[in-house]
This record gives sequence, structure tokens and C-alpha cells, in this order.
Amino acid sequence: MNYPFWDVPYLSGGGVIGLIATYHLLIALFAVGGGLYLPLAERKALKEGRDDWFGVLKSHSKFFLILTAAFGTTSGVGIWFAIGLANPEATSTLIHNFVFGWAIEYVFFIVELTTAAIYYYTWDKIDPKLHLKIGYVYAASSWLTLVIINGILTFMLTPGSTWLSVAGSGNEASVFWYAFFNPTYFPSLVLRTLISWNLAGIWALVTASRLDGFRHGKLKHEIISWSAKWLIPGFVLVPFCFLWYLAMVPEAQRQLLDLGISTIGQGTFTQITRSALITVMTSATIIALVYFVAVRNSKSFGLGWAISLVLLAFAATASTEQAREMLRKPYVIGDFMYSNGVRKSEVEKYNAEGYLTHSSWAANSVKGFYSDSETIEAADLKKGELMFRGQCGACHTEKGYRAMNNLLKDRDETAIGNILQMLHENKDDSPYRKYMPPLVGKDDEIKALAAYLKQISVNASK
Amino acid sequence: MDASLLQEPRSRTSRAAAIYDWVDDRLDLTGLMAHAREKTVPEHKHAFWYYWGGISLFFFMVQVLSGILLLVYYRPGAEAYESVRQITYDIQFGWLVRSAHSWSANLMVFAVFVHMFSVFFMRAYRKPREFGWWSGLALLGMTMVFGFSGYLLPMDDLAYFATKVGLEIPASIPLVGTVITNLVRGGSEITSTTTQRFFALHVVILPLLYLPFLAFHVWLVQKHGNAMPPGEEAKPVEERRTIRFFPDFFAKDLGMWLLSLNVLAILASLYPWQLGPQADELASAPVGIHPEWYFMSQFQVLKVFGRWFPGAFGEYLGIVVFTLGLVIWALIPFIDAKGRNGKWAKAALYIGLIAVFGMLATTIWGYWDL
Repeated sequence: MNYPFWDVPYLSGGGVIGLIATYHLLIALFAVGGGLYLPLAERKALKEGRDDWFGVLKSHSKFFLILTAAFGTTSGVGIWFAIGLANPEATSTLIHNFVFGWAIEYVFFIVELTTAAIYYYTWDKIDPKLHLKIGYVYAASSWLTLVIINGILTFMLTPGSTWLSVAGSGNEASVFWYAFFNPTYFPSLVLRTLISWNLAGIWALVTASRLDGFRHGKLKHEIISWSAKWLIPGFVLVPFCFLWYLAMVPEAQRQLLDLGISTIGQGTFTQITRSALITVMTSATIIALVYFVAVRNSKSFGLGWAISLVLLAFAATASTEQAREMLRKPYVIGDFMYSNGVRKSEVEKYNAEGYLTHSSWAANSVKGFYSDSETIEAADLKKGELMFRGQCGACHTEKGYRAMNNLLKDRDETAIGNILQMLHENKDDSPYRKYMPPLVGKDDEIKALAAYLKQISVNASK
Repeated sequence: MDASLLQEPRSRTSRAAAIYDWVDDRLDLTGLMAHAREKTVPEHKHAFWYYWGGISLFFFMVQVLSGILLLVYYRPGAEAYESVRQITYDIQFGWLVRSAHSWSANLMVFAVFVHMFSVFFMRAYRKPREFGWWSGLALLGMTMVFGFSGYLLPMDDLAYFATKVGLEIPASIPLVGTVITNLVRGGSEITSTTTQRFFALHVVILPLLYLPFLAFHVWLVQKHGNAMPPGEEAKPVEERRTIRFFPDFFAKDLGMWLLSLNVLAILASLYPWQLGPQADELASAPVGIHPEWYFMSQFQVLKVFGRWFPGAFGEYLGIVVFTLGLVIWALIPFIDAKGRNGKWAKAALYIGLIAVFGMLATTIWGYWDL
């Protein structure tokens, strides 16, 4: 059960998490891929005696250090703040299971940050071979941070049957490694590693675009061509890895994607299909632009174009993450906790005894509503609002992202009540079942929610 | 192996060459390619603004294609709303085509405005490019009428009331305002007849007017080439940088189109254009009804003058101020005719800044004031 005190109008808490997470991923995966790019480029320059490359690499490593150590780290902490506020119950579950995982993560993280700084500040100051070794230590430690966090991220989609069998018993930590190396762990690790190389190439183009192509045409062309090659493994292998990844997701959770694919011919795409198609489109555009605009026209390839590529990568990352989040619906932790923080095992209890009665943040207020309000209707509306905050607010806003005024427009209280009833019963053939949690609570609570929803949809259209 | 099989590829190439020669003899393709390769485009830190004309053209092409698809199912008149409802909810891919059409209309208006102001601040209206400036203004005007006439066609309540308040702008023109407004409206009120008139305007009359101007405008760009901003022009010739038009600039221009397509596809698929309830002239207008964003500036100017000077006088004054602004804007090539950086050039710069910030400020004010 969540403690829904964090109200983000228009955007919703989930929207905030999405924005911060996409921004973070774009930099964090660069930290991993770029960590390998730098020493490999340095090795090439050393081997071929290309002194002109060193200047470029030095400025790229400065850009890399600032971007990853300042913006990457702060946005990573930002995700912590956002998930703790928007979904405290799921965050608590993660901490209880993976506190040891995060401890390991922080060890690698400190090594990563330290070596990144040493790498930048020791250019031309220590033996080049030792400098290169520091680069390799960085590359290894940054990849190991991915190795760890990937276990926790994939756990949320597919916790695996072993963990689910002990979930809620207090012995979850005993199956730590099962939860960590869960069914989607390896496909996701390979996918993210490949994408981190793509991002290494794209971000390197930002540094390369700053070179004056009319003065240093050959150098600029070489750097751009070499960086562009970093996109090749990803674009060849990602489709196959994605299929591998999907194959590991339980059938029930794939339904939404299957539905979306089966309806492509009629043009009524589901949201997840739209997101997936946007990933395909933006990725193809990146490849086309990198080849035709960057490689073929390296002389006049400027910063504006490089930033456009980064923005396309942002769109590709955002839509992929969105599709992955949708795949997890209606859960926040697969088959265990619904996206609004209600545990699957608690549904029966809440239906029999009441949702708000068991919500320590709300139970006392509800009693007060009926003694303080002038009419029962007014008290119902207040109770309905608490139901909305507790069970709907994790994904919906009144106006804005997945807005209730837009979804409910023109419906009267009876129609709204019917939808709520369908959500409450959550039968196998319910169209909402694939992506929405069951609505839990007693009849009076659900009626109060219907009254509240009617009121906000009327207010919104005024 | 049969010798003829070995010869096959060569004969195929020579056949292709023969076809090329045949066409080349008649259309001089080789000359055209040579010209395209010779042509250069200036390369400098403001070169980004060169793409906006092409972006506007791209969105116009999307408008034509998606518009033709919508034309197949749209029925003006009494069934207007029902036909758009079918397009949006029943017809396969209908929602996507409609959404792409509406979004690219808005993106096109935006791109045209960016193009106009970038041309202005690069002083690309100076000799010999005056006709480019004027034909561009005509195209901008028509683009806005395209947008206005298209907005009514679905006949949902937002379209109905926004058009109703939008028509207050032409109606306030002294003397002829009412006559013109009644003529396009087909009476004193917006009815299903109005959709028929707007439809004829939107798909026949405007395209007929627009295409020759567009051809003229593009031909002028081809004839005079890209204008350099004054800072670049001041440099000695050997310090100026250029890239080849073909294939270098051409590839980048296509890249920009691809980027525009991405922006359009993301907006059209993730934020599909909505259809409100059917227009009901007896119902009260929704609160805060206003025309589309690109008319907000004019709308607000008229509203404010009407507030300061109640009655017809205020409206006339608003129209006069507006027309005066437009005339000065069109006469810029004469005001700043001397070239180089004299006091008139400085005056033109101030006029441009007033126009940009004036439009932005009145638009924001307009939304604030709803």
C-alpha cells in the first residue's frame, strides 16, 4: 500500500520518474559504453602513432567526465527520490531484497568515479601504458555497475518463480541470487551493453562535431567514421536480443504487445505498439543520419546535427523504456505487486474489509469526513478522493498525463460505476485486465470513487 | 557456359545507358547534374536557418498527401461531423492520417514563421531577393487561411466556436468586413453551408492560388541562391566557406526532412488529434474559446483595442494598427534598400525585433487573458 502524499499535477509521479530515468539512462549508458570507447580509441592512437587523435580524446574525456560524474550521478539519485515518493511500497520491496546488491553497486560506482577522474587528470602526466590501463579499469568497473543494477531492474519485470514462492514470507533474502539472475537478466544485460556502445558512438560525434572540418578535414572524418562503427553491433544484434528478451517474459504479460501487433493491420495501435514503432523509426533515422550526414558529410557536420542525434537517441530510449514499462503492466513488480502498490495477495482482504480501512494514511481522516461534513454526499466525495489518490494516482492525473477528464468525458455516474465495477471484478475477459490493476475495496468505497470521478470530469470540462 | 549469358549483364548496362542517352538528348540531364554539382551553399554558424524553407515545404507535401487521403472520406455539409467521426474511429488508419494532417498543419505554420524571421534577420529580402520576400509573405497569408478554413471542417464544438470568434477578425475590417465575412460564411451564422464553402476554399481555391506562388518562390531561391548574413558577406571571398549543393547540402536537407518526419510521427501517434462533441449552435460556447495559436496575436490586439476604445472605433483602430504593421513589413525591402549597415539597416533590425517580441508577447498575453 502506497502513501500517496506526492501529487504531481499534469505529469503524475510516474511521468516524473520516466523523465528523470530517460535522462539518466542516456548518460549512464554513455558512461558504460563511452568507458570502453575511450581506452580503445587511445589504444588505436598509441599503436598507430596518431598524435592528432590525443587532443580530441582528451577533450572528449573532459566532456565525458563532466557529463557522467555531474549529470549522470545527480540524475541517478533523482530516480531514488522520485521512486521513493511515487511508489514507496515497491521501493521498500526492492530495498528489502537488494540492499546487498546496492552495496556492491556502490563499490563499483566509487571505483568508476575515481578512475574517470584519474583518467582525465593524468593525460600526458603518466606513462601512456599506465594511463591506458586506468582506462580499462574504468571500462570494467562501469560495466560492472550495469551488471548489478540490471539484476534489480529486470527483477521488477520478471521476479521468477523461486522468489515469488517465498515473497511475503520474510525469507526473500535467502533467494537473492534467484531474484537477481531472473529470467530476463541475460537478454537485458546484452541489450543494454549493445545500446551503451551505440550511445558511446553518438556522444563521441558530439565532440567530433566541434572540430573544424575545413581545417582538419582528414582528422574529423577519421574520428567520425571510427565513432560511427560503434553503432554497428547494436543495430545488427538488438532486434534478435529483443526477441530473446520477449521470449523470457511470461505469456500473460506479453498479451498487451501481442494485441498491439495483431491490430497493426487495422491501424488501431495500442500504446505499447506505438512506443515500439517509435523506437524502430528513431533508431533507423539515427543510422541514416549518422551515415549520410555525419560520415558522408563529415567536413560540415556541426554541433546542431550532433545534438539532433542525441535528441533522437533520447526519443528512442524514452519510447523503449515506455514500452518496457507497459509490458510490466498491470504490475510494478511482476505477478507480485500492482502498479498502484497493492499486493496481489492483499486483494481479497481489501475487498472484504475495505481498502481505506487498511490504509493507515487515510483511515482516520475517513472517520472525520462523516462527522465534520454537512452532507453525506460531501463526505463521499472526500472519501472518493482518497480512493483516487491511493489506487489511481500512481498512473492517472485529473488533467494532463492519462487524464481522467479525457478518459471519462461525457460519462454519467452510472457509466463510470459500470467501468469501476468491471475493474473491481477483474474477470478474465475484462479488457482492462491486461494493463490495469483490479480496483479493490468495499462497495461504499467504490461508489464514493465513482462520485468523485464524476465530479472531477465535470469540473474539468468547465 | 553459353556465351550470351555472360554478355547479359553488359548488355543490360548498355541498355540503361541507351535509355539515359535518349532522355539526356531531350532533357539535358547531364547539364542539370553538372549545374547541381557546381552550385554551392554558404557554410557558416547561421547555416542552420537555411533548412527552414525546406522544412516548410516538407510539411506542405505531407499536407497534400494526407489531405488527399482525408478527401476520400470527408463529406462537407450536414454530414461533416459524422464523416470525421468515421475517419477518426471507424476507418482503418483514419485517426493516424487525420492526426498527421492536423499536426503537420501546425508544424508547417510554425516552420513558415521561423523561415520568415530567419530570412528577415539574414537580410535576405535585400536586392535581388525582393520578390522572394513578397511571394513568401503571400504564401504565409495563404498558409494561415488554409489553417483557418481547415480548422472548421470537423464541425465539433471547438472548431465551431473557434471559427466563430476567428471570423471576428475579418468582420472588423471597415466597410467591407461584414460583406466578406458573410460571403465566406454563406450567411450571417456558421451552418453546414459554411463547411461547404470552407471546403471549396480549402481544397480547390487555395491550392490553385498557392501552387503558382510556391513554384515562383522556389524558382527564385534556385535563381538567386542562399543569401549570406551581413557578417558573412563582410568577410573576404577567400575566407568564406561553401559546401556543394549536390550531393552534400541535398543530403543534409533530406536528413532534416527525415528529422521533421520523426517529430511529426511522434506527435501524431502519441498525441492523436481529438474530436470533440458535435457543434451545437444553441449551446453556450465553452469557456475560454479562442482561435488557433497562430491567430492569437491578431485576436488579442483586436480584443485589447476593443476594450480600450469601446464600440466600432476600437475595432477599426485595431485593424488600422495591424494593417499598418503589415504594410511596413511588406515594404522592408525598400526601407532597408541600401545594403550594408546604415541607419536604415538598424531601423529594419528594430522593426524585426519589435515584430518577433510583439507577436510573442501578444500571443502569451492572449492565452493569459482567456
